[in-house]
Amino acid sequence: MLTIGLMHYLILSAAIFCCGVFVMMTKRNAIGILIGVELVLNSVNINFIAFDRYSLVPGFDGQITALFVIVLAAAEAAVAVAICMNLYKNINTIDVDRGDALHG
Amino acid sequence: MVFLQRRCSLLAFAGVMAVVLTMPAVAMGQESADFEGVPTAVQGGVLEAVLFYIFGGTALVAALGICLSKSVVRMATWLFGTLGAVAVLYLLLGAFFLSAIQLIVYAGGTLVLLVFGVMLTSKSPWVRFECSKVELAAGGGVAVMLFAGLLSVLTRADWAVTEGATTGATVEDFGKALLTTYLVPFEVASVVLLVVMIAAAYLARQEG
Amino acid sequence: MSNYETYLLAGVAIPFVSFLILMLFGPRLGKPLAGWVAVAAMATCCVLATLTMVGWLGEVENGTAAEMTAAAKDNQFYWADLGTVPINIGVNLDSLTVIMFFMVTFIATWIFVFSVGYMAGHSDEVGGQSKYHRFFCYLSLFGFSMLGLIISSNLLFLFIFWELVGLCSYLLIGFYFDKKYASNAAMKAFITNRVGDFGFIFGLMMVYFFLGTLDLDGAAAEFSRQYASNTGVFDPAFTINIFGWKVSGAMLATLMGVGLFCGAMGKSAQFPLQVWLPDAMAGPTPVSALIHAATMVAAGVYLVARVFRLLTPEAQMFIAGVGCITLTAMALIAIVQTDIKKCLAYSTLSQLGYMIFGLGVGAWIAALFHLMTHAFFKAMMFLGSGQVIEGCHHEQDMRKMGGLIRKMPVTGITFLIGVLAIAGFGIPNAHLGLGGYFSKDEILAVAWDRAGIGGEGHGHHGDHGGHGDDGHGGDHALAGTTGFTLVAGAGGSHGGDHGGDSSEEKGSGALKLMFWCALITAYVTPFYMMRCWWMTFMGKPRDQHVHDHAHESPLMFLPLVILAIFTVVSSYALFRPLIADAAPALTDAVLVTSYDGHAYDAEHAKGALIKLEAAHDWLFWGVGWSWLIMFIVAIVIYRGGLDFAAKIKSAFSPIATLLEKKYYFDEIYDFLLVRGCRLIASISAFWDTYIVDWIVASFTSKVTERFSVFAGRGVDANIVDGVFNGMAVTSFDLSNFFRSPHTGRIRNYVLFTAGAAAVAILLILVFDQMSGTQVVLTSAGG
Repeated sequence: MLTIGLMHYLILSAAIFCCGVFVMMTKRNAIGILIGVELVLNSVNINFIAFDRYSLVPGFDGQITALFVIVLAAAEAAVAVAICMNLYKNINTIDVDRGDALHG
Repeated sequence: MVFLQRRCSLLAFAGVMAVVLTMPAVAMGQESADFEGVPTAVQGGVLEAVLFYIFGGTALVAALGICLSKSVVRMATWLFGTLGAVAVLYLLLGAFFLSAIQLIVYAGGTLVLLVFGVMLTSKSPWVRFECSKVELAAGGGVAVMLFAGLLSVLTRADWAVTEGATTGATVEDFGKALLTTYLVPFEVASVVLLVVMIAAAYLARQEG
Repeated sequence: MSNYETYLLAGVAIPFVSFLILMLFGPRLGKPLAGWVAVAAMATCCVLATLTMVGWLGEVENGTAAEMTAAAKDNQFYWADLGTVPINIGVNLDSLTVIMFFMVTFIATWIFVFSVGYMAGHSDEVGGQSKYHRFFCYLSLFGFSMLGLIISSNLLFLFIFWELVGLCSYLLIGFYFDKKYASNAAMKAFITNRVGDFGFIFGLMMVYFFLGTLDLDGAAAEFSRQYASNTGVFDPAFTINIFGWKVSGAMLATLMGVGLFCGAMGKSAQFPLQVWLPDAMAGPTPVSALIHAATMVAAGVYLVARVFRLLTPEAQMFIAGVGCITLTAMALIAIVQTDIKKCLAYSTLSQLGYMIFGLGVGAWIAALFHLMTHAFFKAMMFLGSGQVIEGCHHEQDMRKMGGLIRKMPVTGITFLIGVLAIAGFGIPNAHLGLGGYFSKDEILAVAWDRAGIGGEGHGHHGDHGGHGDDGHGGDHALAGTTGFTLVAGAGGSHGGDHGGDSSEEKGSGALKLMFWCALITAYVTPFYMMRCWWMTFMGKPRDQHVHDHAHESPLMFLPLVILAIFTVVSSYALFRPLIADAAPALTDAVLVTSYDGHAYDAEHAKGALIKLEAAHDWLFWGVGWSWLIMFIVAIVIYRGGLDFAAKIKSAFSPIATLLEKKYYFDEIYDFLLVRGCRLIASISAFWDTYIVDWIVASFTSKVTERFSVFAGRGVDANIVDGVFNGMAVTSFDLSNFFRSPHTGRIRNYVLFTAGAAAVAILLILVFDQMSGTQVVLTSAGG
């Protein structure tokens, strides 16, 4: 227990991942869902960096990947917030249940 | 109840502050372990374990806080806790540069963006949309099931890992890698950012 | 492919192109132009036909014509297999084809020109739509079909074109289909022709079955071979059992010829299928001239001439008999006709009878020569009658005409030329005559010779006997051994025509009777024609209104003059020598030879009509002056108007009535066929109304009703509807059920995705546990 290994990080990452998924599953607020996505992306990043740290492969490719994930997550958040604002402008709320025009 | 939640938020905020304040110490501790100037992670010791449990726990609690809070603003605050704690974990894993990026981009950029989003799209910060109890139960069940599945997969897997310490990558290494090996993804990412900037401006613009 | 074939094929194709143009763009071309398109097409054909004929004359002169015919035969296109019999498309390039082609295109061209003038004065509106282009459209189609019929070397194609000309005839007779009599006449013509064509098809099937080919020459060669070698249909052992009646092969061979002749009976309107032709005059007059006088009705004669070598002596006798009945009976009817077109129609029937009779007695050349001369002068006379009818304000009754020669001099004179030609005008032994004087008298001469009335001793018969020594004597002996004489003896008219070795056989009673009938008719013909002309053009005008209206149209008398000129030309030059060139030679046909075929030699080709001179010599008093005698009789009777004729008529009223009623043929057909059909129909109707309906009403309907109620209320409403409604409801519910997860909420989709992933992982784990192997995750480096 006192020797921290890969497994600790993976379990933590899994836990955060599941929390993120749970947030996505249960929030009706568009921004809330976005927060869930951020949690998931963070858990993934933890995985990347943990594998990079403990893998037998030399180099820091995992960290580079995590860097790109962060960049894309930021970009995604920007677009998502813009979409949320557009949604709010159109239906005057960001309750995703109201944005169901494509509902079959 | 509201009072309790508000206190929890304060607690989260306090936790993040503690992280931010602790980080130099952690970093310094690592530096003290290696006087050659190249920072190495705090590895193998009890200190590492203690730090992991504290900040891992913080990240997990904050994540659960996000799950359980009803208000978007609270969720954003709890997210702040998670992001900060994860940044410390990056430090423990020797990813100093990413740790800094995590704080700057996530905690400093994305989170602020989210809060701005909340501000611009809410008639009041306390607006709530709640889903049904059934959905909550189903979501919880699925999440637990998923976690259980992941856990069992993780524990069963035979991870080929090194037990030894590795040196962390410096900013210089990152710079070289991004401009040589990862030049194409780097440029693509820059184009993506440009596109995103235009797209976000277009989407969020005032009509007419 | 020689030039001639190309010309002929192009000549067939051009009217078809004209037909297509008129069919597609006719209404846009408008009133005069559509007609001129057809005229241009037909004139082009006529030019091609003239080129062909001029070239062909040179080939005949050089003696290379036979090579060209053989080359054309080798040049056939393989089209398809009928069973094992290959069907080839080819041009039957010989003198007869060339001359027929010329005749048809030439007459058609001038009749088309006439039609442009004729149709200009006719109202052709039906339902507000002009039929003008349609008329020329049909005429072009007729040109295509008729020319195709002429050049076909195969009986199957001949039959196809045969039906096409029948169709054109139907369309054109019924051109004024908004008038009841015209549409009735069209139907009558079509149905009567079907009766004949049934026989034709029957004959075709027998040719196909017994001779194994539908090629004209191939069939003839095979027929001769089978006869010569006692094989095939002429095998003595060959009999067919038809309803317990044994039919010998020789009998079948005769039936084959008779079957083919049936087609000719329909198209050439021979007894007893003659009823349609007089009614066909309901069509526009140019159509009567072209189709129902000059060309299409001659197609029957042409067919018989083409299948001549497939005829047995018995079939020939049958043909001669039919022709004889037709020529006599129809000429007599013509005497009492008062409608100018009907009068010409019956004269046409009579002349066609002459042609058929000529073929029947073996006067191959004479019959086809008569076809040629008749085509020109009869077309001319019909056009003349069209001119008269048009000029007299659509008056067809000759009793209202009279004295028209002053108003219509050109028509009157050309018509008189036609009358002279058909009457056989000529000065015996002076090489001077018109049309029938040469052609009809030659038929009579051959019949005279065949009937043996002239007895032994004249040069022609000796000539024939000489030929008989070459091969026919042997054939006759052969016929005796094949049992052929047995069949022929039953017919009673065999007569050993091709044998010629016994004078008793030469003149059978039937042939003698036929000859006398034909001879008497040769006296009747000048009478009714002169009567017709005199009533129309001479004497005092009997109807002042008609007389005042009479006038000539310039566009219409040019064809009259041209055809009159060719009536004269056709009597002398060109036609007879070329036809003689095509006559079946002795070597071609073992069984039947055209009686006059061998009489053709180089001397004839030079235009010396030795044989005809001989005929006029024998028949000097018999037929040579008949025209003059009967013209005088006709003029005496009709000189002072119709009163004297009426007196004679009342004196012979039963006969006159019989003739006016056309021997009651229409009534007999009406009684036997139409009434018979109606009787059967009434019996059927009675059966249907009182017996079938009763059963239906009292029994079947009740059962049906009960069953319907059961089926409707019980089965349909509950079970059938239930099944379908159930299916509908089930699918609706199922859709709703499957629709329910599609909430349109993003979080639900995430829930499903994550749930599915979780379940998948757990399933893998469970499977892993059960199989005992660790398939999950081993790291790459491990």
